[in-house]
Amino acid sequence: MFELEATAEMLLMSQAKASTDTQHQETRIEVVLVKAVLSGDRDSFGRLYDLFAPMVHGILLARVPRSEVDDLVQDIFLHAFKKLHTLRDFGAFGPWIAMIARNRAMDFHRRAKETVEVTEDLRSTDSSGSRAKEILELIRGLPEAYRETLVLRLVEGMTGPEIAERTGLTPASVRVNLHRGMKQLREKLG
Amino acid sequence: MNEEYLWDKSGDPDPEIQELEEILGALRYQPKRLDLPDDIQQTRRRRNVPLLAIAATLIMAILAGLFWLSHRQNQRQTLTEVPPVPVAPVTTIPEVKTSIQVAKAVNPTRQQEIVATNRLRRTVSKTAAPSKEAVLAKEQLMTALRLASEKLNLAQRKTQSPSLNQIRNQHKIG
Repeated sequence: MFELEATAEMLLMSQAKASTDTQHQETRIEVVLVKAVLSGDRDSFGRLYDLFAPMVHGILLARVPRSEVDDLVQDIFLHAFKKLHTLRDFGAFGPWIAMIARNRAMDFHRRAKETVEVTEDLRSTDSSGSRAKEILELIRGLPEAYRETLVLRLVEGMTGPEIAERTGLTPASVRVNLHRGMKQLREKLG
Repeated sequence: MNEEYLWDKSGDPDPEIQELEEILGALRYQPKRLDLPDDIQQTRRRRNVPLLAIAATLIMAILAGLFWLSHRQNQRQTLTEVPPVPVAPVTTIPEVKTSIQVAKAVNPTRQQEIVATNRLRRTVSKTAAPSKEAVLAKEQLMTALRLASEKLNLAQRKTQSPSLNQIRNQHKIG
């Protein structure tokens, strides 16, 4: 069983190699922008924000109430700006900020536990009963690896290769997560 | 389910996935301008931290070494400057007395040195010599132990040798 899965992942990885050229280009842009920011160019950070804000938004949307997401996105980018000098591999800006976003979401839940009443209020304002929010809740009920990938694909409209490139995950694991997550979501939708 | 459409939106569109995309698209990120405050600064990297750590470790090691050396020197001094211990009655150790006298007669300059060493030995022998009470107690204990061992030997012999009555009865029967 495990051998079959591993072989399938290997096959998927070889298929995904076709899209590596565009990924390298984006990585190079990322490196140039990070270098520019570190040398004092603030506008370049704005371009990094434009490139990666949808990914950060998706990661947060898979974890925290929607009403909190926009503020948290801003906070995360401000934090990233302050701590950019700690980034050693300039090409890994995406995975780095993705990790910051995941950690910030965890912090949010830790704080939310201390103030339960506030969280419930936020949920009540957040759940307006629309179909989109219902489906999002269903996605949030999926395992963590699947929910993040599905939100990035279905909400943010990113393709599998884009998700892999921005988050630092391997294309094979993104493909597997998309496939299994979609299967589970279909079962939940009935 | 169209795998390729789910992966990179290529191939025939999957109607179910398309529907989900349309519904969930309402929650998509709406581009907003990032407001970087003017006073926000990038915190400087502390490049000299490892060097400082190494320097601090070295200083600590040197200080520890110096402390150890001074402590050791102090110990040596206290050993050499042992205060004179009251001399035990000389009659109990006649050999020591004679050696001191000999040393005094032969070389008066070495006298102090010899006396110091002898004093040290004397203190050792003095502490090791048992008192009269202790000797008496020891003797009592030894006699008690000897008595006990004799009794035990007697009991052992009695149990091991055949009883006289048995033999007598056997003779009577036979």
